Amino acid sequence: MADPKVVIEFVDVYKIYQVGDSEVRALDGVSFQVRQGEFASIVGPSGSGKSTTMQIMGCLDLATYGTYYLDGKPVSNYGEDELADIRNRKIGFVFQNFNLIGKMTLEENVELPLIYAGVGREERAPRVRQALERVDLWGRHQHTPLEVSGGQQQRCAIARALVTEPELILGDEPTGNLDSHTSAEILALFAELNREGKTIVLITHDDHIAAQTHRRIRIMDGKVAADEELDADRHPEPSTRHPELDSGAHPEKIAGGARNDEGAKLRKSGKAVA
Amino acid sequence: MFLQSLKMAWKAILSNKLRSLLTMLGIIIGVVALVVLVSLVSSATSSVQNDINSIGRDMMSVNIESTDASTALDSSDLDQIAALDGVGAVAPVKNVSGSAKEGTESYNVSAVGTTNAYFGIEGYGLAHGRYLLKADQDNNSYVVVLSNNAAAAIYGRTDVVGETFVFDETHYTVVGVLAAQDTTGAMSSMYTVYIPYSIAERVSNASSSSGSGFGGSASSSSSSASGITSFYVSAASSDQIDVAKSSLDAWLLNHFGSSEDYYISDSSAIADTMASVTNTFALLLGGIAAISLLVGGIGIMNIMLVSVTERTREIGIRKAIGARRRSILLQFLIEALVVCLIGCAIGLVLSGLIIIVVDLVSGSLTYGLSLPVMLIAVLFSLVIGIIFGVYPARKAARLEPIEALRYE
Ligand SMILES: Nc1ncnc2c1ncn2[C@@H]1O[C@H](COP(=O)(O)OP(=O)(O)OP(=O)(O)O)[C@@H](O)[C@H]1O
Ligand SMILES: [Mg+2]
Repeated sequence: MADPKVVIEFVDVYKIYQVGDSEVRALDGVSFQVRQGEFASIVGPSGSGKSTTMQIMGCLDLATYGTYYLDGKPVSNYGEDELADIRNRKIGFVFQNFNLIGKMTLEENVELPLIYAGVGREERAPRVRQALERVDLWGRHQHTPLEVSGGQQQRCAIARALVTEPELILGDEPTGNLDSHTSAEILALFAELNREGKTIVLITHDDHIAAQTHRRIRIMDGKVAADEELDADRHPEPSTRHPELDSGAHPEKIAGGARNDEGAKLRKSGKAVA
Repeated sequence: MFLQSLKMAWKAILSNKLRSLLTMLGIIIGVVALVVLVSLVSSATSSVQNDINSIGRDMMSVNIESTDASTALDSSDLDQIAALDGVGAVAPVKNVSGSAKEGTESYNVSAVGTTNAYFGIEGYGLAHGRYLLKADQDNNSYVVVLSNNAAAAIYGRTDVVGETFVFDETHYTVVGVLAAQDTTGAMSSMYTVYIPYSIAERVSNASSSSGSGFGGSASSSSSSASGITSFYVSAASSDQIDVAKSSLDAWLLNHFGSSEDYYISDSSAIADTMASVTNTFALLLGGIAAISLLVGGIGIMNIMLVSVTERTREIGIRKAIGARRRSILLQFLIEALVVCLIGCAIGLVLSGLIIIVVDLVSGSLTYGLSLPVMLIAVLFSLVIGIIFGVYPARKAARLEPIEALRYE
């Protein structure tokens, strides 16, 4: 049996930020591959370059040096509009802070990618409904993001990522602002999507979550420190026992900051754009 | 895509009504200024034009500039002119001003020396008595026809036929009073009376020092020279005015040998001058209004820039989920345009209301909205929306998605 095709390939990717006179090497020669249908997690300490990797993967940003091959084609060859179309159709991006548009209802938020994809109105409505039903939010679709919980906002964001039926779903700490119970729910949703054939890459701080994915890429100081295959046959089972619960965090609270590592202070609390 | 952008723009405007309204205010004021001012001016112009046309479309006045006695015109020349193609009637005119006495009061009076034809040319009606007749001219009779307001002012009544009229110490007999005129005489503080041309000539020769140049520069400079220096000509009918003018011009040119020696003015020339004055006026006011529209446009740009900054994250999100630059550009451009056009619409409605109020208050003139100006206002608003919307929209469209998403 031939291996599934490589969807994502980083070859010696550098991302260097110029801050005043000094430069920050956010990525310092990163190389790895993700194959179709994989469920991978990226872990690493705060400031190690996880988000930077994810942004390049999601075509939100470009590498300073090195090549990112998406479906075998170097992304640096694409123009602005082509990159926009890739973000629209090929990739679904889920953010830690949800990034829903606060003035719009959940339904309109989910509809937006379809509008940019040029899908007609008659076709949009059923697809939006289907995506919202998928994340169990149909019924709240007329609410604005500010009127629903963090978990619901994140499920809406996932529906938005799904609605154009992309092959690839990227999540930058999608459970970072959620309590453990809600995190488990969201993780289960990702696992289910993966079983349906979607390629999924998640960033997480939570080893427990990383352990439920099939592959764990560890990044340290802008380099890949470890890349380990986890038990691929293992089904991710939502666990009720999380470190957070033990350390006395409020499981019902939706805000982030349940963990006390140094990354917590860098993360924005989840909120939609007003 | 366009329809979607329109919807988004509409939503953005509704989501911040007060600010949208304040933004529109500049455009609203600009449009109201433009439409109301220009409409008022052009309505006034056309009503003045109508007045001019109704006074005498078929009338010309001729002034003789030549002082050469050998070419001086006499009444037989006027008879020749009266027989020209297209010409209806001809009346010589000599203006003499002086004072009239009645009891102890004295009044400034302008006496027009002329003949019977004059009343026909001017279209004056009679209230009492009769016009000047040829016999008055031939007999050098000291008779006078009073304008209605002169009679009313001097005698306190208008049925004064047979009364004695004392003008510059000379006694005249009143033979007629004209019907009331609504415009004539209102421009001058003098009262107008009409005496036989021959008498006016005599009066002006006798007292050349007190002769006033009421009828133009020619009459005073040639007061010593005999001959007719000013006369009115009417066309046989109103569609003959051009024929009459050209035959008159040909006759005068032939008589004097130079077009410098006479000057023909007709009511259409007056109307043209009037029109060019009011057009300049309209242009000036329109320009001022256009500047206020421009200022409104700058206000829109200002708010759009604020709006782009405020919505940086939203723009980042839109880009992250696949909006192309063009979509973002269109969204913000359309927003600016919609603000402009709504402002313009409100401005037009307000202008209409203001015009209605002005009509009610003024009563006399009827003003209307000028359609071309309304179109110009709409066009101008569109252009301003585009000019001042493009920069903020481009700024929005060019945001890098990741920078925009990071923006707090
Ligand atoms: N726009 C930027 N300008 C300058 N430096 C940046 C910029 N973005 C990221 N960096 C730096 O790049 C490095 C990697 O950042 P990145 O956001 O990828 O870390 P991360 O692994 O996602 O951390 P965390 O777990 O806290 O989210 C950090 O040192 C960060 O300070
Ligand atoms: Mg990060």
